[in-house]
Amino acid sequence: MQAELLKWTRTFAITWSSQFAYRADFIMQVIGPALVFFLVKYNLWSSLFHLSGISQIQGYGQTQMLAYQAWVFLVTLLAQGYNNMNLSEDIRLGKISTHLIYPFSFWKFQTARFLSFQCIQILVAALTLGILVAFDLVEIPNWDHLAMGLAICMSVGVLWFVIAYVLGLAAFWLEETWVLRVMFVLICNFFSGAVFPLEIFPAWLRGILVYSPFPYLTSVPVQYLMGNLHQSVGSVFLAIGFWTLVAWAVAYLVWKNGMRNYAAAGM
Amino acid sequence: MGTIKKYLSVYREFLGNSLAEATTYRLNFFLVMVMDLIFYATSLGSIDFLFQYVTKIGNWDRDHFLFFISFMLAVDHLHMTFISENFWSFSGDIRTGKLDFVLLKPISGLFICFFRLMRPGTVLNGVVPWTLLIAFGSRLGFGFWSWVSLLPMVLLALALMVSIEILITLFGFWTISSYGLNFLRLQFQQLARYPDFIYRYYFRKFFTIFVPVLAIGSGPVQFLFEQGLPGLTLWAGGALILISALIRITWRKGLAAYESASS
Repeated sequence: MQAELLKWTRTFAITWSSQFAYRADFIMQVIGPALVFFLVKYNLWSSLFHLSGISQIQGYGQTQMLAYQAWVFLVTLLAQGYNNMNLSEDIRLGKISTHLIYPFSFWKFQTARFLSFQCIQILVAALTLGILVAFDLVEIPNWDHLAMGLAICMSVGVLWFVIAYVLGLAAFWLEETWVLRVMFVLICNFFSGAVFPLEIFPAWLRGILVYSPFPYLTSVPVQYLMGNLHQSVGSVFLAIGFWTLVAWAVAYLVWKNGMRNYAAAGM
Repeated sequence: MGTIKKYLSVYREFLGNSLAEATTYRLNFFLVMVMDLIFYATSLGSIDFLFQYVTKIGNWDRDHFLFFISFMLAVDHLHMTFISENFWSFSGDIRTGKLDFVLLKPISGLFICFFRLMRPGTVLNGVVPWTLLIAFGSRLGFGFWSWVSLLPMVLLALALMVSIEILITLFGFWTISSYGLNFLRLQFQQLARYPDFIYRYYFRKFFTIFVPVLAIGSGPVQFLFEQGLPGLTLWAGGALILISALIRITWRKGLAAYESASS
């Protein structure tokens, strides 16, 4: 048990230090999204209300829309940061061969790395939340509500990690998997409510999206944190759990089939 | 003239190699095309949904906005097809010492580093943004000079975007890992995808004068709309010249700081 725990903590620590190895790189990854939030989203929505002369869009005034966008920014940091960029390269170049003989499976290794990354994201998100509160863009709900919101974001993070894992495993068949990742991010950004609230979408599209995992990736956690969610927290966890299980089952099947195809390049 | 011929023949070889590689990995070739189409659909869809609730943003209506988005998609298409791949490979060249072999060749290292890789598969996708440009240009009642200057304006925007990105990427000589630089470069691309007037005064001034990303699309499009020569269009040209000079200086300084990993 202790030996197993040591493997997890070591992988966790190595990932943590590798994230900070190139500090300029890390700072830019933190600054980049913040820059886009303040420059694009803040300006776009402020201007849209100011220059078009309207006061509300589907129930969202300027203040609520900016708060929505600010929470989207935080949820994205907490739940959608992990991209598993190295996974496909590890498969393509045959580096996973070593994991097949190590006493710490590839899946566990990837999960430990993800947990380490999530801890860094929590720190970055906490700092960002402080800045957003200072700029009066969001109000901190009571601590219980915030803690539950964090728990929802973490569970979405797990779902995101499993999806990123499945996309990375496509490297068993594809030369490059970044295309799949970009496609998924584009589709997800649009349909999850990251660009604008789902209420702005046509009713027929909203009706379809209810049966997909997309709203749970951004819109649902954001609405919960804003205190506007009209469904129980239990049902939210149930739905996220269901989609995580589906993604995990797909990951299992893809891994099993992929291993049959695996040529162990470089061996 | 001889130099141009030499560079054109080298570029033809780069194109041939990229084409051979693209046709070897056919599924990837196809997926890149699909990815571009999804990007076009989501970019245009976002603006279209918004204009169901507003009639104008500033002086621009739906057609003006969709023309601007289509213009940026046309720039982005050329960028994706002919340039973008190179930005990702540059840091690898520095880290692994591959840059040594680039520097040994008897043509400009900058040219090899930023123009050797292409994605020929996405050429066909150009039909989408150009069709949209023509459709929205017609609806806006473009005159003769607007049509004639459409392609040169797209090329001006592309040249400015690429020059800003090359300058950012060259800082990889010092940061070594350029994941963060590429990330920043992509964020700047996002800023340029909206017209300058949506940004507040100080942000607008900063990102027009000091980091001229807002001049990329807004400068050329204002020229096409106003059929005159607005200051922002002139500044887009001026910024291009200035940044080209900065690229030369940064390249030289970067090479001086470069520690060859392979030697």
